[in-house]
Amino acid sequence: MKIEYPKYHYDVVKSLLDGKFILFPGKLYKTISEAENKEFYIDFFQESFGYELIVETEYVYLISENTDEKTSRDIMTFISILSYEIDKEGKNFIEELNSSFFNLERINLYFENSHSWNEIITENKQISSPESRKSLIYNTMLKRNIIEKMGDNFQFTKAHKVFLNFALELIEKESEEESTYPQQSV
Amino acid sequence: MIKAEPKTILSFIHQHFDLLKELFLAQSKNNSIDYEFLNNEIEKYGVEIKTQLFEYHILKNINDEYQITDVYYNLFEFILQQFKPLLPEEIEKYVQSITNLFIKIKEDINKDKNILIERIDSLTSEIDKFLSQIKNNTSSLLVKSRDLKANIDNIDYQEKIHKASFWIDYYIIPLNNIIDIHNSESIYNILLNISEYTNEKRLNFQDENIRLKFERLYNRLKQALIDIRQQSEILVNELIPLIERIKTENSILKGMHHYLSKGLWYKKDSPQKELLQKFRDNVFSNDFELSTKEYFEQFQLEEEVFINDDNHSFEEWVFDKHKYKERMIEALPIQNFFEWTINEIKSENIDLNTNQYFTMVSLLFEKDINIEYQNKYEKIIIEKDNTELKIPVLKITKDEN
Repeated sequence: MKIEYPKYHYDVVKSLLDGKFILFPGKLYKTISEAENKEFYIDFFQESFGYELIVETEYVYLISENTDEKTSRDIMTFISILSYEIDKEGKNFIEELNSSFFNLERINLYFENSHSWNEIITENKQISSPESRKSLIYNTMLKRNIIEKMGDNFQFTKAHKVFLNFALELIEKESEEESTYPQQSV
Repeated sequence: MIKAEPKTILSFIHQHFDLLKELFLAQSKNNSIDYEFLNNEIEKYGVEIKTQLFEYHILKNINDEYQITDVYYNLFEFILQQFKPLLPEEIEKYVQSITNLFIKIKEDINKDKNILIERIDSLTSEIDKFLSQIKNNTSSLLVKSRDLKANIDNIDYQEKIHKASFWIDYYIIPLNNIIDIHNSESIYNILLNISEYTNEKRLNFQDENIRLKFERLYNRLKQALIDIRQQSEILVNELIPLIERIKTENSILKGMHHYLSKGLWYKKDSPQKELLQKFRDNVFSNDFELSTKEYFEQFQLEEEVFINDDNHSFEEWVFDKHKYKERMIEALPIQNFFEWTINEIKSENIDLNTNQYFTMVSLLFEKDINIEYQNKYEKIIIEKDNTELKIPVLKITKDEN
């Protein structure tokens, strides 16, 4: 029996297994999101590797149950501190992450002047120095399509929204947990 | 009783407006002006005007604090366009008074004409006041929400969430309920009922004077309904989404704060869904057989290894300049200096190396010899060092001088 695979199947599988986000618009995104392919890929990754395929309107990515994985935590920490510092500056961090240009100098200024999270920055080797931040941005995040390099600047791709949504989920979970505890009368 | 001329008071306000503005802002913030603040401001501007402030009834003393009197406060609020948002309860009183006046007009429509005219005028005036309050409130809430969104006061995000929730819960949603055109209980629909009634009366009421009053009220109501629709649109389309966005932004920040402050960034059991690590390609290679063979062959092809013992028993060659010079003088004339050198060293059972050769060359600098350059070269190979040298053939003779 010969199985007909969707167009760009090899590139789709390779990119996702390399931990990359596949972004809209793009031929790989088009392949996965097409109605007849979406279900196939969800089943394919679940049955072949035990990974969950998440297909959002602007990006696609794989998640695993591997709790030893540190990269997503480092990126989440990086984006959280960055958002907090942008907000402190009086700017809208959602708009900034969505459309602003960043460079290493600007990033370093935020991290060096972050008094609130100084301890975390010092303790986390992936964000503690200008070199480590450069590596996180231009190696880890660039390879995973979380940022896009433009000369000396970079811009976040829509994939950064995964981390913003995660923050929202955290708060929703916390509110749910709070509401499930019976109110104690004083 | 104010004794001063009105123009004197206006001129005083004009002259000291900057100071008065500071007092107005302080009262807007804290509802009153404290004794120390007033004195500091007067000192800062270097003008002793306390007496006039009280004489012109701009300030009044309440216990140990001061307040700008209502009429001046409203004036400053208006000319600075900085309205303090009113609580919905304060606005609702207009709804109440408008409703009551309308009921009275309807009930007593055929009774005393004078009181009917008074009530129609009052109703018109209340509608004007109500609209003015709504407009001021919407615009001040918009300014406050935009300031909050831009975080111009640099406040902490938790306070920002608190403020956004406060404005939406206590001011914006209740204000929207009051003016919501889709809510049958709202002022919009009350005014619509009044408008229908007034429309009828302005056309068929017997008394012409009262018909004109109804006509005036009807025109005000027409404008009021347009204004309320506009204000409602600002609330629904601009203010509520704006404040909702502030709440969303801040929920995200709150989540991030939670993530960082609760240590989820390093805890192994963090609730985070893990992104996929780079997949490791562990499948067998096409040429694994060859690679394996090559791997084992590297051990089979190993040659025997000899280790040089540094503590060898050979005697080291030492350049005895005196000895070699004597031999060189005895051998003169020497046709080929290098040939002679190599034979000398070999005669001592020592393998010549490059260093030895160059050391022996130093004999050429001795005083009592002549060196003749033969204009030809010889290629020699010093095997021990795997060195190839191209050297001139030198003839050495005794210096007779």
